[in-house]
Amino acid sequence: MTHLDSELKMLKADIIEMWRLVINQLEKAKESLTNFDRDLAEEVVENEKRVNSYELKIDRDCENIFALFQPVATDLRLVLASLKICNNLERIGDISASVADFVLDADQDFNKAILDHTRVLEMHAIANEMVADSLEAFDKEDTRLARTMFKRDKMLDKIDEAALDLVMECIRDYPDQVRNTLLVMSMIRKLERVGDQSKNIAEEIIFYFEAKVLKHKKKKQKEGDE
Amino acid sequence: MNKRYETIKRAKDGAFKYFGLFCTFFGLIMLAIFIGNILFEGLGRLSWDFITSYSSRLPEKAGILSALMGTVWIMVMTALLAIPGGIGAAIYLEMYAKRTRFGNIVELNIANLAGIPSIIYGLLGLEIFTYQLQMGGSLLAGAMTLALLILPIIIVATREALKAVPRSLIEASFALGATKWQTIRRTVLPAASSGIITSVIIALSRAIGEAAPLIVVGALAYVPFVPTSPTSDFTVLPIQIFNWVSRPQKAFLVNASAAIIVLLCIVFFMNAIAVYLRIKKKIKY
Amino acid sequence: MAEKLKKAEGSFKIESKDVHLYYGDFHALKGINLSMLENTVTALIGPSGCGKSTYLRLLNRMNDLIPDIQIKGQVLIDGQDIYQLKSSEIDHLRRNVGMVFQKPNPFPKSIFENVAYGLRVNGITDKSFIENQVEKTLREAALWDEVKDKLKKSAFELSGGQQQRLCIARALAIEPSIILMDEPASALDPISTGKIEDLIFQLKKDFTIIIVTHNMQQAGRVSDFTGFFYLGELIEFDKTKKIFTNPSKQETENYITGRFG
Repeated sequence: MTHLDSELKMLKADIIEMWRLVINQLEKAKESLTNFDRDLAEEVVENEKRVNSYELKIDRDCENIFALFQPVATDLRLVLASLKICNNLERIGDISASVADFVLDADQDFNKAILDHTRVLEMHAIANEMVADSLEAFDKEDTRLARTMFKRDKMLDKIDEAALDLVMECIRDYPDQVRNTLLVMSMIRKLERVGDQSKNIAEEIIFYFEAKVLKHKKKKQKEGDE
Repeated sequence: MNKRYETIKRAKDGAFKYFGLFCTFFGLIMLAIFIGNILFEGLGRLSWDFITSYSSRLPEKAGILSALMGTVWIMVMTALLAIPGGIGAAIYLEMYAKRTRFGNIVELNIANLAGIPSIIYGLLGLEIFTYQLQMGGSLLAGAMTLALLILPIIIVATREALKAVPRSLIEASFALGATKWQTIRRTVLPAASSGIITSVIIALSRAIGEAAPLIVVGALAYVPFVPTSPTSDFTVLPIQIFNWVSRPQKAFLVNASAAIIVLLCIVFFMNAIAVYLRIKKKIKY
Repeated sequence: MAEKLKKAEGSFKIESKDVHLYYGDFHALKGINLSMLENTVTALIGPSGCGKSTYLRLLNRMNDLIPDIQIKGQVLIDGQDIYQLKSSEIDHLRRNVGMVFQKPNPFPKSIFENVAYGLRVNGITDKSFIENQVEKTLREAALWDEVKDKLKKSAFELSGGQQQRLCIARALAIEPSIILMDEPASALDPISTGKIEDLIFQLKKDFTIIIVTHNMQQAGRVSDFTGFFYLGELIEFDKTKKIFTNPSKQETENYITGRFG
């Protein structure tokens, strides 16, 4: 194994660790929302620092690899993809921390009926799954799995679009829970972004393994690649 | 205009080519004539008896035994004296001596010594070996004189051979913790060996043809015995040849030609060894 | 910087303190303070004639071979000033500080004898020890599989890259603790260069390596620390990552970005 190989292996390991941490954060955020677990929410907010430090470390490692090894071809794409993926992961980390923050902002337990009516938990589940699956796609070089992100992002978008009306219905039906309902609305807006970030990650994975640039292409072209 | 210029240019080019060819062949033709002449005159006289008989007043009975053996003795002794001295001096100058003003003077003098006429060496040998050291006209005096004669040649040529050993090899040896002497013995000398041997052989084949210094030192023209020790009186082939050539009888001239053939054979044989070694042991870096 | 490193990572293998070197009137090294830790690779970079090779050759007293040279200051290896050694101890120093040269320079001997040379000149005669050592070091130099069937053949039959690995094996055979490399890959093709670089990376476990290179990318790939020499001065010395991502001196930045002069 060459020196560069070992550096790349370490980089990859770091990215995967960061990924797992972010998935963990999402799961905990969702759980804290479901069970209205303030302690867990606080833990998520606290752990956000760790996600950030991973981002800094990976950024620096990529910088060093560029400066010291001048990677080319697949090695170059790995470093470029890592650099962008870690950026996206950091944003997802921010989102999970925001969700936890909203949980902490709530003045009472979330009403189960509101959570169900606005589909926020369903949305959270889809988002978590997307991030977990994107890790699997990266780890197992499964670009087919990566390509499913584009459709799943659409599902999140639909839930997001429908949310406004549903939230208004909830406000009307549960006037004592306006604050929590508005927090749920904010969560939905945030979680919608997880889909976009996962989509970006999927594009980077495809770029890494297939050297194809999918950014800013029409949907048909993306699916045509399948 | 242009075409004429071209024609002249080509003609000049062609002319020079033929001039060069002529120069080359002139030397070769002269050598061929010389060798042909010698062979024509002397080949018939050459026989086993000629080689195994002593010199004689009667041309048909005369042989070169004492001269041939004298030459062999002289060569072996000269080699024994000159080779260690020459190589030793060359190693010292090339590997040990510091670059000082004195060193430069020594170097210049050695180069000059190589160009001094051989008869001067004969006079030196006569004064130092024959008279001062009271060796008389012995083999030892002759060999020491010839050794002095070829020493500068060996030194200069050996230094060239040592210089040709890549510096990187010497550094590699030092870098492995070798001392200077280990480096010389294990790396420099083996790498320079073919060059050194070639230089020694060429120096010896020069010594083998020398008559003048040996005559001055006191080698005899007529020796009716084979030398038995370094203190013996002696003669060598070139002196024998010189002696025969200066006789009035035609038959002695024929004898001289036959002796020249023997001498040439020895010289060519030695040169052949030198060429062989140069080709065979040539090391590429 | 050096003091900080010392506290953080243990003691130095090599230390040079205010080293000046003159070739006749030419002031070739101007007060070099440079220290290296054990089991690290240090790269020395800089334009031609900047003194990096001269500095390298100071460390095994190879400069002694050049007449008219004058050295001031201290060079400590394992705490001992190597310029206080008696001349009879210099070969002992060179046994401890191996060297690999710019052009592959195997001896005109067999592959086996090339590796055994250092052992033989150091008085080792035990045949089986020599055989074991030759095999061991050829393996260390990642050359054994390529030459094991032709150990008796001339070293000149090997390719340039193989010859250079042979030269590395030759240096390793006498078990030095430091290896100096003077542009070891500059005469080699990229594949052979890559092999030499991997080898350097492997050898770091057991040796302290100092490599002079004209190739900045190479310095980046193989070294832990980098020193930038310019006009006989050590302009900057730091971790390679630091030098290559954010050098503190403008001269260093200009040199490594190719905007020199």
